[in-house]
Amino acid sequence: MHVMTTRKVRLGRLSLLIALTGLALFMMLPIVFLFNHAFKPLNELFLFPPRFLVSNPTAQNFERLWNATSDDLVPFTRYLFNSVIVVSTTLVAVVVVSSMAAYALAKFKFHFRSVIMSLIYVSLMFAAETVQIPRYLIISGIGVSDTYFAHILPFIAAPVSVFLLIQFIGQIPDSLLEAAKIDGATEWTMFMRIVVPLAAPAISTVAILTFQAVWGDTEASTLYIHEETLKTLPYYIQTLSQATQNAVSGQGMIAAAGLMMFVPNLIVFLLFQNRVMETMVNSGIKE
Amino acid sequence: MADVKFKQVYKYYGNEDRPSVIDFNLDVLDGEFLVLVGPSGCGKTTTLRMLAGLEEISKGEIYIGDKFINYVAPKHRDIAMVFQNYALYPNLTIYENMALGLKLRKVAKYEIELQVTRAAKILEISHLLSKRPSQLSGGQKQRVALGRAIVREPQVFLMDEPLSNLDAKLRAQTRAELIKLHSQLQTTTVYVTHDQTEAMTMGTRIVVMKDGRIQQVARPQELYDRPLNMFVAGFIGTPQMNFIEGEITQRDGQLYFENKRLRLAVPDRRAYDLRQDPAPSRQVVLGVRPEHIMSGAMALEDFPQWKIQGRVEMVELMGSDTFVFINVGQDKPVVSRMEAHTNIAVDDQAEAVIQMEKALFFRKEDGLAIRSREAISSCSGS
Repeated sequence: MHVMTTRKVRLGRLSLLIALTGLALFMMLPIVFLFNHAFKPLNELFLFPPRFLVSNPTAQNFERLWNATSDDLVPFTRYLFNSVIVVSTTLVAVVVVSSMAAYALAKFKFHFRSVIMSLIYVSLMFAAETVQIPRYLIISGIGVSDTYFAHILPFIAAPVSVFLLIQFIGQIPDSLLEAAKIDGATEWTMFMRIVVPLAAPAISTVAILTFQAVWGDTEASTLYIHEETLKTLPYYIQTLSQATQNAVSGQGMIAAAGLMMFVPNLIVFLLFQNRVMETMVNSGIKE
Repeated sequence: MADVKFKQVYKYYGNEDRPSVIDFNLDVLDGEFLVLVGPSGCGKTTTLRMLAGLEEISKGEIYIGDKFINYVAPKHRDIAMVFQNYALYPNLTIYENMALGLKLRKVAKYEIELQVTRAAKILEISHLLSKRPSQLSGGQKQRVALGRAIVREPQVFLMDEPLSNLDAKLRAQTRAELIKLHSQLQTTTVYVTHDQTEAMTMGTRIVVMKDGRIQQVARPQELYDRPLNMFVAGFIGTPQMNFIEGEITQRDGQLYFENKRLRLAVPDRRAYDLRQDPAPSRQVVLGVRPEHIMSGAMALEDFPQWKIQGRVEMVELMGSDTFVFINVGQDKPVVSRMEAHTNIAVDDQAEAVIQMEKALFFRKEDGLAIRSREAISSCSGS
């Protein structure tokens, strides 16, 4: 009887495992395609029927992309440099501002706290398109158009991140902070040594979401930046694909650019996802 | 080490009509183990948190030693607190947990190491120092929380129900260890609990609180023997003290306690108290502890004037004794602590004797113990 049930369980698990592996492989197809496509030489890119895997891999596409310039003669590397600057600054700024705001809103009692909280909740409900015009007015009003701030500022107001972190930091028992207070910790020490490490899973999630949003963003480059040298990589790739839509020679560059846009996302996700799991397991916040 | 003084301390929370702590006056002596006990919501934890600096003091003054501490930040009060849920930092190792307080006070590294190792040795947690809180059992976490408190060598220990998350066996064991620890360190300790057993076994003195007010401050035995009111009498002791309503009558110079079912002669000593009562009241409540209700032929023969009888409603075997619940015509049966091998069964007609010399009388209108004026002032003054 016992043997029967274990065998049944094993069989059930095995079929589940097979089904999930199949699903995972299927989900991986676009990624595999993306990687292969970027390394295909020109003749393979236009094969009919199209091939999934590359047979003569070449770095030619990347070479051409690297040396490419826009119509205004701004080199590809400049866009890449802009993107790196914007993404790293925004990431740090969002994490710092959101976690501090969330800590204050979750753990302090002050006037208008509930008003501020409801404002944050309300702002979660607006579709991105509806705030484009007010954002434009603000950006040009404070005179930061055509600077890096135009890229960064709109992202720092991150209601989703604050909301997520409030939920998470709210779960940290007050007694932990009180114990630290008695131990002699200042607010800053409490924040850095207790709140941030314990909220690491949520902070990692915020980092992943922010990175993906900023890395792929074309809004700032399209709306607030006129100076070509300050525009970012996704904008360049967008124009590249628009300009070379029908041109045979540009297809290789587009394939390489697609991979370049995707790989950092993958790396950041793998990096932080690992951290999310690790902190979830070891946090031991709940008794 | 230092004493702690509360002077007319009040705590009001924002929108409450009634303060949570009312006119709290108390001197905690140097080196004393003072227990604050009371039902939930009585203000004991609030009082402790005001002393710790985690709650603002609405009115009144608190002193640690000679220092007025109302506006002093918690970290400068030289206290250490043990929390109910231990409040260990989950992201730090046990060593770091214990060392953090010293580290933040910029104590030298070798000194920290010395202190932590010493505390770990006292509490037998040396082997856990490299682990994290999530790897520890409840009892071990409790020790670490204590360790974190003692490494700092504070003036006062504050403990907020530190044992209530432990299982019964571990709680009894840790209780004994806490008593031992206190006798070793002799640090002034303020301990909050809702468990009267903890209060009775650990406290040098006990403060019983209800609805934000101090009901009585006394040593454990005195609290048990001479409670100032019905609340304290009922709160301390398991099973609870029996309360029987009735009135005081006088026949031929002898006072009697009487109700529909009973007439018990009041012994001289108690009669004196009743006659001396500043507000002589005829309507009283008789309070008698279960162990002062005896059965057995000899008792019945010797004290026929104190006999009660009734149907047995329930019998609880405790191993060492038996609790017999006798219906004497009230809402609640009277509980008697009898010896283990009593041959009494449910629905029997039982006879027992109330030891009236040990019984207490309370005024029905306000529940205060009836005692001569001198007795009351000498008790409450301690």
